[in-house]
Amino acid sequence: MGSSVERSAAAPAAGVALIAAAAAVLPLLTRDSYYLDVATTILMNLTLTMSFRLQVSTGQINMAHISFMGIGAYASALLVTRAGLSFWATLWIGALVAAFLAVPIGSVALRVSGPYYFLITFAFSEVVRLFFNNFFEGLFGGPSGLVGIPKPGRLLGVTFDSKLALYWLMAVISVVVVLAFVRLDYSRFGLTAGAIRQADLVAETLGVNVFRYKLTTFVLGSFVAGLAGVFFAHYRQVLHSSDFGLEPMVLLVVFAVIGGTGSVWGPVVGTIVMTLASELLRELHHYEILVFGAVLILTMLFAPEGLVALPGAVRRFLRRPRRRAPAPTGAGLAP
Amino acid sequence: MSIELLVQALLNGFGLAMAYVLVALGLTLIFSILEIINFAHGEFYMLGGYVTYYVYALFGLNYFATLVLAIVTVGLAGVVAERLIFHDLRGKALNAFIVSLGLLWVMQAGAQLGFGVLDKPVPSAFSGVVRLFGLVMSVERIVVSLTAIVLIVGLYLFLRLSRPGRAMREVAQDPDAAALQGVNIDAVSALGFGVGCALAGGAGGLLAPLFAVSPAMGALPVVKAFIIIIVGGMGSLPGAVLGGLLLGGVEGLGTLFMGSAAVNILGFLMVIVVLLVRPRGLVGGA
Amino acid sequence: MLLELRSVSRRFGGLQAVADLTMTVASGSIHGLIGPNGAGKSTVFNLITGVIPLTAGEILFKRERISGLRPSDVCRRGVARTFQATALFREYTVLQNVLVGAHLLAAPGLVPALAWSGAYRECERRAHERGRALLASLGLGAVASQVAGQLPHRDQKALALAMALATGAELVILDEPLAGLADQEKAETTAVLRRLREQGITVLLVEHDMRAVMGVCDIVTVLDHGVRIAEGTPREIQTNAAVIEAYLGVEEPGA
Repeated sequence: MGSSVERSAAAPAAGVALIAAAAAVLPLLTRDSYYLDVATTILMNLTLTMSFRLQVSTGQINMAHISFMGIGAYASALLVTRAGLSFWATLWIGALVAAFLAVPIGSVALRVSGPYYFLITFAFSEVVRLFFNNFFEGLFGGPSGLVGIPKPGRLLGVTFDSKLALYWLMAVISVVVVLAFVRLDYSRFGLTAGAIRQADLVAETLGVNVFRYKLTTFVLGSFVAGLAGVFFAHYRQVLHSSDFGLEPMVLLVVFAVIGGTGSVWGPVVGTIVMTLASELLRELHHYEILVFGAVLILTMLFAPEGLVALPGAVRRFLRRPRRRAPAPTGAGLAP
Repeated sequence: MSIELLVQALLNGFGLAMAYVLVALGLTLIFSILEIINFAHGEFYMLGGYVTYYVYALFGLNYFATLVLAIVTVGLAGVVAERLIFHDLRGKALNAFIVSLGLLWVMQAGAQLGFGVLDKPVPSAFSGVVRLFGLVMSVERIVVSLTAIVLIVGLYLFLRLSRPGRAMREVAQDPDAAALQGVNIDAVSALGFGVGCALAGGAGGLLAPLFAVSPAMGALPVVKAFIIIIVGGMGSLPGAVLGGLLLGGVEGLGTLFMGSAAVNILGFLMVIVVLLVRPRGLVGGA
Repeated sequence: MLLELRSVSRRFGGLQAVADLTMTVASGSIHGLIGPNGAGKSTVFNLITGVIPLTAGEILFKRERISGLRPSDVCRRGVARTFQATALFREYTVLQNVLVGAHLLAAPGLVPALAWSGAYRECERRAHERGRALLASLGLGAVASQVAGQLPHRDQKALALAMALATGAELVILDEPLAGLADQEKAETTAVLRRLREQGITVLLVEHDMRAVMGVCDIVTVLDHGVRIAEGTPREIQTNAAVIEAYLGVEEPGA
């Protein structure tokens, strides 16, 4: 949760450094295409869950988050394949298009709150998905999808044809994103976001323009989602509207909530743990979904604040006052 | 575009609307009593479909008796789910969402493993069509609509006249006040969840002969149910009926102008419009 | 004349909560708003602070219209408030609560926060200093690191006041600042209010403790059923026939 500058910058800096180190070390441990793919996916999901969590920290559960990933993806794909722009330009343009569209969509969605906000953003996400799936097939590929998206072009003499190079690209992007969100969370920005989540009317009467705050997180989150979308488009090289529908969105929510939305580190823990878990479970086929579902239920029942809150809960459990049996008179045998 | 064509399109849309209203009522009942959105709701619909398949299609019991069995069985399953999983999550929407998601996956995968992935056809209980004023309506759909209406009226009477029904309304209105008046919130929660699931199970049984039974059959009805209750107003019974008729009409007419795949977008657009213009829904109260 | 209400009305469906209310609050005064339960006092506060819109009339602060502004803009003009049910950020520490209150005075913006610039750090350092000083002046210095939700009632009320003051407001509107306090604590709080007046901060409060109200307020306005029935010094109010009748018709509110 948000905090004051008083808390030393040591903990967050260490956290970011740890993530950066882990990202840097991985390619040294393995060049296996499969593992690199999983790692790249984890990093991509990380940027998505962290940007999603930014919005959750102000009390918004934005089910259209994935749609902005899609907007960035399609924008870049079309600009590169049809207008001949370079990926290195469309990376920013795609994200900006997403952010730009987030302004009216967010303004409209923020007219309602709570479960209604959840539902209206869900409705928006379906509208966007159905739009990409059924309209302008010539542009977006319709139900068969959009194919033939090229990988990123050369930059500063480096080619980005290999999985390794793309991994490094995503690693750099995600470390920057993590750094930015951690900084924000530990700043006054995070402090205000948490205040809005706890008691938005009180925050408002203390001078916080809650609507503008929430819209800012909405647009900022959508920018990052758009960024991830652009990468996704040129990494997978194929786009289909189902990539931006309810199922992947739900996974993002799961990652964030299982990790713990109360902390900026929650999405990190949640994304890594759950992606690894689902890879491990993949062998089980139908049982995979069953076990996954059971894991969700059990985690929410026994660790409702997420995995990231477990250490604290365990500590509190160990420190709880214990009832001592009265000492028996006579021989001192423990009861 | 003849008027006949339009009215036929409307009728086609309405034909299934009442069954979807049942699902929507179950969902909104659970929402109003437990303040959570149960994403696994479609799975209870699916359970009702499978009970119907095994008992009616395979075992051969009378269709309406099977329906009653489906309703009761799924209702009990709902009570079990509430006691085991949901009762601590009252009011905690985000966590309940994740849990219901988990339950959805467990039930879906369980159905795939237990019943097999393939569609299982259920024979129609009623055949033939009715022709009136140049319009065509299948007997089956008429029976579905009428049965659904009977169940809806039954629910209404239950909530209005019976003591547990009234207790449920009190908890939906103001849980703290209800608790102060001695209402057993836990019992009402379990009953409410059970009744909500029972309605979904009933709808599953009703629609099983029309579409085949499959593990994923709950996905579409639950989406329609969400649209219906948002448009009609969460927590409102007449709202759900009105929302269902509206959705049925809009989608029925929509199929005339755009492909049936694209028609789905209309429901979501309706949701957005309603949430902006009148977030409480057409009939929504507090 | 710091705050001016001109023919302010608010209707909720069939109920006229506030009817054609005209009143003024003088700068540097402690102004009391009293009346039997349901008289519309909290509604008036919500109208002034922009939480609910007016049905008719206007509200002026420092001669500028504030009716129709959203609450954060009303606060920006210099009006802060507390709530009847003590409203805090319960998961945050006492100091964090006050720091949120300092939002208007310390908000350096998104980019400096991201860049963790020198200007941002300086802004925050000063906000911390001011916050701690404010807490100390209200007797909360010792509990600055405690979680707000776990504070005793007296401290929670003091914290709510601190948060309002942290905004740098010239007018603080307090909704039942003495509710639930013991006599000694009430005396401490009224002393604080007098100190605020000395510092040039204007106080508008709603209270049910008549003795306290009469003891600390310069001017008192009396509402009944949304209508102003009297206004004047405590002495004048205590001997006003209409006021006495309004209160006699209702059960004595617990002090």
